[in-house]
Amino acid sequence: MIRSIGIVGAGVAGWMAALALRRALPGAGISVVETEGPDWSLGPFGPGETSLPGFEAWLADHGVEEGALLRAARGSFSLGTAFSGWAGQEADWFLPFGTIGAPIGTIAFHQFAARMRAGGQALRLADFSLAAIAAASGRFARPSPDPRSVLSSYGYGLHLDRAGLAETLRLASGLQPAGGFRAFEDDIVKLQDGTCLAADLWLDCSGPAALLAGDHGWESWAEWLPVDRAVETWNAVEGVPPPYAHAGAFEAGWQRTVPLIGGQGGALLYASAFLPDQPGAVPFGQGRRTRAWTGNVVALGAAATLVEPLHGYNLALLQNALTRLIGLLPAAPGGPEPAEYNRLAASEADRVRDFAILHYKTNGRTGEPLWHQARAAPVPETLAHKLDLYASRGRLPVYDEELFDPEEWIAVLDGQGVRPRRHDALADAIPEPQLRAHAARIREVIIDAVRRMPHHGATLREEGLLP
Amino acid sequence: MLVGRILVVGGGTAGWMAAAALAHKFAGTRLAITLVESAEIGTVGVGEATIPHIRHFNATLGIDEADFLAATKGTYKLGIEFVDWGRKGDSYIHPFAAFGESVDGVPFHHQWLATEGAGAFEDYSLPIQAARRGRFRRPDGDPFNYAYQFDAGLYAKYLRAYAEARGVVRREGKVVDVALDGESGFVRSVTLESGETLEAELFVDCSGFRGLLIEQALHTGYEQWTHWLPCDRAIAIPCANSGPLAPLTRAAAKQSGWCWRIPLQHRTGNGHVYSSGFISDDEALEMLLAQLPAEPLADPNKLRFVTGKRKRQWVGNTVAIGLSSGFLEPLESTSIHLIQVAIGKLLDLFPTGDWDPLDAAEFNRAMALEYERVRDFLILHYHATQRDDSEFWRHCRNMALPDSLAYKLELFRERGVVVQYREGTFLEPSWLAVYLGQHVVPRHPDPRAGGEGVAAALAAMRADIAAAAGAMPRHEAALGMVA
Repeated sequence: MIRSIGIVGAGVAGWMAALALRRALPGAGISVVETEGPDWSLGPFGPGETSLPGFEAWLADHGVEEGALLRAARGSFSLGTAFSGWAGQEADWFLPFGTIGAPIGTIAFHQFAARMRAGGQALRLADFSLAAIAAASGRFARPSPDPRSVLSSYGYGLHLDRAGLAETLRLASGLQPAGGFRAFEDDIVKLQDGTCLAADLWLDCSGPAALLAGDHGWESWAEWLPVDRAVETWNAVEGVPPPYAHAGAFEAGWQRTVPLIGGQGGALLYASAFLPDQPGAVPFGQGRRTRAWTGNVVALGAAATLVEPLHGYNLALLQNALTRLIGLLPAAPGGPEPAEYNRLAASEADRVRDFAILHYKTNGRTGEPLWHQARAAPVPETLAHKLDLYASRGRLPVYDEELFDPEEWIAVLDGQGVRPRRHDALADAIPEPQLRAHAARIREVIIDAVRRMPHHGATLREEGLLP
Repeated sequence: MLVGRILVVGGGTAGWMAAAALAHKFAGTRLAITLVESAEIGTVGVGEATIPHIRHFNATLGIDEADFLAATKGTYKLGIEFVDWGRKGDSYIHPFAAFGESVDGVPFHHQWLATEGAGAFEDYSLPIQAARRGRFRRPDGDPFNYAYQFDAGLYAKYLRAYAEARGVVRREGKVVDVALDGESGFVRSVTLESGETLEAELFVDCSGFRGLLIEQALHTGYEQWTHWLPCDRAIAIPCANSGPLAPLTRAAAKQSGWCWRIPLQHRTGNGHVYSSGFISDDEALEMLLAQLPAEPLADPNKLRFVTGKRKRQWVGNTVAIGLSSGFLEPLESTSIHLIQVAIGKLLDLFPTGDWDPLDAAEFNRAMALEYERVRDFLILHYHATQRDDSEFWRHCRNMALPDSLAYKLELFRERGVVVQYREGTFLEPSWLAVYLGQHVVPRHPDPRAGGEGVAAALAAMRADIAAAAGAMPRHEAALGMVA
């Protein structure tokens, strides 16, 4: 039985864990220990954090009012991520939070798209996504709960200042930090003031430093994900932030931009082999703990999995880790919970790893060694299988513990310019005029809906987030 | 080589399901579908009991439920009753629905385990309570699902009419020879006893256990699972109906196997699945006859099988569906379901002209996983028992499990956690029904369970379910068999 929980790291990960466990185990004592330096509990990827759809439900479950969080964290809404310079130096595409097109019966939309392309018609998948069109026109309204409305075809994420996010989570937990971290020895955390802290369960939320879980083994992903430096950036910007994050590739890496009220948080992420060290660069290695949960110490956030933040998944990984941990709270000493936790955590992390590698493997940049090597390098077996099947006929197998749906994988593949050799034979069973009419109708409904949507700025003002 | 012609070899349940689904999918195209079957060769007519996925299959084909039930003498099915499995004298039901509702964010079964005096687990299942009372209605926004029990022979006939109306050509004849392409190894044609040759680009082998194409012509090989599922024979015999019509399939464990009972509108299907290593055929027949609820309507039909699956189910241009692809005993009514899954995957991966080997590889990967996960679920029924009254049960209790099952069972036994997965037929409620129904009681439930107010919340759930179950019409009335 867990009576006391010690959390090391008083950033986003630490306070989110504290809040989640407070709710799950109201009787347990929870101590949150501060660590030195900036909050890298989800990685050294800048002052802005992004969430995936589903986070709003987590917040509501944990008594955090979304409006209050947005106000405290210079927050704005997100409809996805714009990727520029990945499919080629000049090419852009958009990864939306929402469906793309609509199937006919059991035949997926991208199969029709392939068929129409084969017939000589040029099209972009994102043009059939409400979230993408709304993002491009700077509009945002919350989705509709009515499944018959096209306004239910998307979700939304949040752009949040990580300090504001951490503080809001702390407030909701009702806790105060217990002191500053000095050392972890013999299952005891020593605090700066000399006192000692014991706990039945330790959560390492200290970021890449992994102050408690440093010896839980490390599986490096460096051979596939060459980015190993980050420079956190902040640009003061006035006006209405766009309702999407941005990932802009350049010769040696990419720039992350998370638009907040009053500025853009982000990071310059690059491979040190291809760019001399920049001022303020933080070295890091991508990978995951071999066994995130060892003994009575569980690594969470970047202490468990450190992966470049291409599409808002770091907060989602933390959210899932907490749900998993709470479902597997140890009931008796020596139980099977850690092994099952680690099996699931490793599997989920490896699928996100594959998702990140996909962006590199399928890049279309020319004349640059980093990108050339990324294209040529072999990828993990699991990703290779996905790529093969997609290339063959646009099929996308899903494994257990996938964070992303096939649609999202397909949006990336399509955006990157990967075209299946053939399309689904069933798509041929639909007459061409019917296909064109189907596609035209989807566009019409989406454009009509977006036209009636408020601008992002209007929504922000209405909710008191912009003056 | 673009697929212009499909030849389905064999016309049992699998053959006609495949032909009907293909005809529906490719309606309005020039694809020609032929099915060859021989009246001389009997069909096994597997799986008169189904799981809810069959409704999706029928709905996709646009089949009307009332019409279908009338044509196949079908009944509704809310679950499977397992008798004498965990211990002699036991009865539990595996429903197609979740049990109870979570309380305080803690999964229901943990709250139930941690609460004294919370009644039986099955008190928290509306379909089980309805089934225990012989009642049925279609779910109207309720979180439960249902399936059917029907005459598989009549279903095949029904689908034959459906398929023929949509252009499928039926040929009568016995296949005596299969011609392969010397270079690709693809099947080129089959020759009938009459000397006639039928060519096609895609062959669907629904020829039953023999695997006329997949095994006899292509020598694919078979993976045996008899060390985990030792039953290898079955005797089937129909009898008259007696008593109220249960909206349930019944699977009663016996000394060296188990007996099924499947109530249809016009008769009851019965059978004994057993292991010839532990009991003789005569004893098995005697045991079956001894427990018939009414007089038999036909002679016993004896079957032999080897549990396992074809090493690959799609080879070259031949896809095996049904018994030609493998056999898992119908303990959880999965025979028709596995046919349906294979058809769905074939349609999904329908070969285009270049015959990319990836299509077959993906089909084989996905089907292998499907088979293995059903297999593990079946093994659980045999292994999780306290029966000690025969050599057979002692063997099952003590046998080594596949790793994929062993850790699942261990995790539940220790901590009450059901391992979940994305691909596969049986979800958490199914595993819970069997674990708890067969006395696999977790040593340590969730430490959060059993808070204040939980007992009252559970009592309210129980009462609601009992009231709702009592208010349902009788099964016969739901079928329109009585006024």
